[in-house]
Amino acid sequence: MAKRITIDPITRIEGHLRIDCEIDNGKVINAWSSGQMWRGIEIILQGRDPRDAPTYTQRICGVCTTVHALASVRAIENALKLEVPLNAQYIRNLIIAAHAVHDHIVHFYILSALDWVDITSALKADPRKTAQLAESLSSWHRNHVQEFKAVQDKLKAVVDSGQLGIFANGYWGHPAMKLPPEVNLLAATHYLQALEYQRKANMIVSILGSKTPHVATLVPGGVSCAVNPESPAALNTERLFYIKSIIDDLGDFVRQVYLVDVCAVGAFYADWTKYGAGVTNYLSVPELPMDTKGTVFRLPGGYIKNGDLKTFTPITSYQDDFFREGVKESIKHSWYEGEWTKHPWDETTQPKYTGFQDKGKYSWVKSPCFYDQPAQVGPLANVLCMYAAGHAPTRKYVEQALGLVSKLAGTQVGPEALHSTIGRHAARAIRCAVFMDELQVQWQALVDNIAKGDLAVCTPYPIRPGESRGFGFHEAPRGVLSHWIVIDSNRIKNYQAVVPSTWNACPRNHHDAPGPYEASLVGNPVADPERPLEVLRTVHSFDPCLACAIHLHDPRGRVLTQVRAL
Amino acid sequence: MGRLTLLGLGNILLTDEGVGVWAVREVQRRWRLPPEVEVVDGGTAGLDLLPYVEERDWLLVVDAVEFQREPGFMGWLAGEELLAGGTAQASLHHLGLREVLAAAQLLDRSPQGVLLLGIQPHLLTTGVGLSPCLEARLPEVVQEIVARLGALGYPPLGPAESED
Repeated sequence: MAKRITIDPITRIEGHLRIDCEIDNGKVINAWSSGQMWRGIEIILQGRDPRDAPTYTQRICGVCTTVHALASVRAIENALKLEVPLNAQYIRNLIIAAHAVHDHIVHFYILSALDWVDITSALKADPRKTAQLAESLSSWHRNHVQEFKAVQDKLKAVVDSGQLGIFANGYWGHPAMKLPPEVNLLAATHYLQALEYQRKANMIVSILGSKTPHVATLVPGGVSCAVNPESPAALNTERLFYIKSIIDDLGDFVRQVYLVDVCAVGAFYADWTKYGAGVTNYLSVPELPMDTKGTVFRLPGGYIKNGDLKTFTPITSYQDDFFREGVKESIKHSWYEGEWTKHPWDETTQPKYTGFQDKGKYSWVKSPCFYDQPAQVGPLANVLCMYAAGHAPTRKYVEQALGLVSKLAGTQVGPEALHSTIGRHAARAIRCAVFMDELQVQWQALVDNIAKGDLAVCTPYPIRPGESRGFGFHEAPRGVLSHWIVIDSNRIKNYQAVVPSTWNACPRNHHDAPGPYEASLVGNPVADPERPLEVLRTVHSFDPCLACAIHLHDPRGRVLTQVRAL
Repeated sequence: MGRLTLLGLGNILLTDEGVGVWAVREVQRRWRLPPEVEVVDGGTAGLDLLPYVEERDWLLVVDAVEFQREPGFMGWLAGEELLAGGTAQASLHHLGLREVLAAAQLLDRSPQGVLLLGIQPHLLTTGVGLSPCLEARLPEVVQEIVARLGALGYPPLGPAESED
C-alpha cells in the first residue's frame, strides 16, 4: 500500500509551496505540486498608469524584485514601441548579471547546500586534510588550514549552544548524506564566505538601481540614473571604477569556489544524475541586449524539445513571434473560475477556491504551456539552450565542470548528466560563471560608450490613444519571466505575469500532463518517509520561489507546518 | 553614537500586511531624523537586508504580527524572541528576518540590540493601502516608534518641513 507524504511549506524563504507524494517501495510513484497562496497583482494593476507597473510588480516577490521591474518595463516598451538607449541597456545588463550572480550564490550555499552538506559531520573533519583537499581542487586564496579551523570552531560553538539558528532546518545524520567530513567542512566554510560575497554582488545592484531591495532606476524607455563621468551627482567615473573593483573581487569566488564546490558535491552524489529529469522540454529567452531595439543579444535563448539539443529553435528578438504565439496558460487544475486555456493577453483572473482535489483543482498556480506542452525553465534550460546554440563561454564552462566531475568521480560524465537534480545545480553554477564574465563585458561596453560622448539614458514616454499590446521577457535567475500588458489610452486594461516558478511548479495541465516539479519527483528514492530529504533535494534544485508564483499570505490563515507524513 | 536601522517589513500589495512599510515611511515623512538613523523599506526581502542589519547598534523592525488581538494592537518583541525557535507565527516575514539575523550572528556582525514593533493587522486581502481602522491608528504607531527612538538616544531633530 502506497504511503502519502505532504510537505508544506517546502521553501526555506518566502512562499508557500505544498508538495504531496505517494511513496511505494522507497520510491515516489506520484506527485502533486500546489501553490497555497493566491497572487492578485493582475487585479491591482487594472486601471493604473502603465508607468506604475514596474513599481507594483516589484512587490510580487520578496526575493526577485528587480526581475519583475525589468520584465515590466520591457513589456511597456514593447507595447509602445520604445527603443532603449545603449547606456540604459548596458546599465540594465549590469544589474541583471550582478543580480544573477548574487541569486545563484545565495541559492546554492544558503538555500540548498544543507540538503547535501551535513554541518554536524563537518565537526569531525581534520582541518589539515580539508586544506589539502581544497588546495588540490582550486587556487582560492582563502583555502588554508587556519580558515577551516576557525570555521570549525565557530560551528562547534553554534552546535554546542543548542541554537542552530540558520542551520536549524537541516537533516543531520540522514542516511542520504554522503559527503566525507572534510568535504562537509570545506562546503560549510564556503557557506560562510558566500554570505560575504553575495553582498558584494548585490552592491552593484544597489549602486546602479539606486537602492535594493526594490530598485528605483528601471523606467519604461531606459533608466533614470544620469550618466556623466564628471558629475558627483551622476553615475560617474569614480562609481564606475568602484563597480569594476567589486566585479574583479567576485570573479574568483564564482570560478574558484562556487563552480568547484558544485562539481565536488556532484561527484560524491553521482547517483543523483539519474534522478529528477522530469519535463525535458526546455524554454529560455535571449538576454543581455546590445542594441536599442532588442535584436542583438550576448546570450542566446530558445526552445528544446524532449531533451534533444538538435531540436533547438532560437528566440531572437523582443518581437519574436515564436515566443509570443507559443505561451498559453491553463486553469483546468487551478483554483480559478472555468476550465480554459488562454493566451496571457486574453486571460481573466477570477479566483474560486474549492479545496485540494487530487484529480481536480488543487493549486493557485496556473499551468503554462509552450505550444501545448509543459516546459522546464531555469538555469538548466538556459545553459542547455546556450550550449545548443554553440555559445562559446557556456561550452567552455560546461566542459570545465564536467571535466572536474569526471576526474573526481573517476568516470566519464557527459552533458546528458545535466538532465537531473544535481545537473540543475551544476547548470546554475555554470550560468553564474557565464554571467560573471558578462559583468566585465557589459562594464567595458558601458565605459566605451560613455567615452564616445553618448550620455543618453532614456527615451521619452509617449502617451498614445487607443489600445496597444506588449510583452516583455527576461531570463531571470529562476528562468523565463514574461509580463504581458494590454494598454488602453494610457491605462492598464489587462496584465499577466507568467513567472518562472509558474512554469516549474505548475499543476497538471489541460491534458493532465504533470508539471516539471511533479514529473521530476516520480522515481526519486525516499529512504525515510518521516524525513523526505530526497524530495526536498529535487524540489530545491529548481530554486522554488513561490512568493512569486503566488502570494505571501494564506487566505485561510493556516499556520506554517513543516512536514507531516500521512 | 552608533547607527540604527529602522526597518519596515511587509507586502504593500496585501493591505495591512504592509503596515510596517507604511509606518516607517510615515515616520520619515513626519520627522527629521538624526543622521545615524537609516530608514529602510524592506518589503518582503530576505538576505538582501543583511547589509542594513550588520554592525548596527540597533535594529528596529516594524511588521505585521499575529497577536490574536484587536486590529491595531501594538506589542514589542525583543531580538531573542525573534531568533528562538517555535515562533513561526510571530511575524508573517519571520523566516526572512530570522535568517538575516542568524546570518549576521554567524558572521559576528549582529546588531547590538534588536527590537520589533508588531502591529495586529485587520485585513490581509489583495489591495494597496491600509484598512481604514489601521490607517486611523497610524499616527499612534508613528508616535510609538518616535518615542522608542527617543528612549534609545535617537530623538528626531524636529518635525519635517510640511509637504501637505
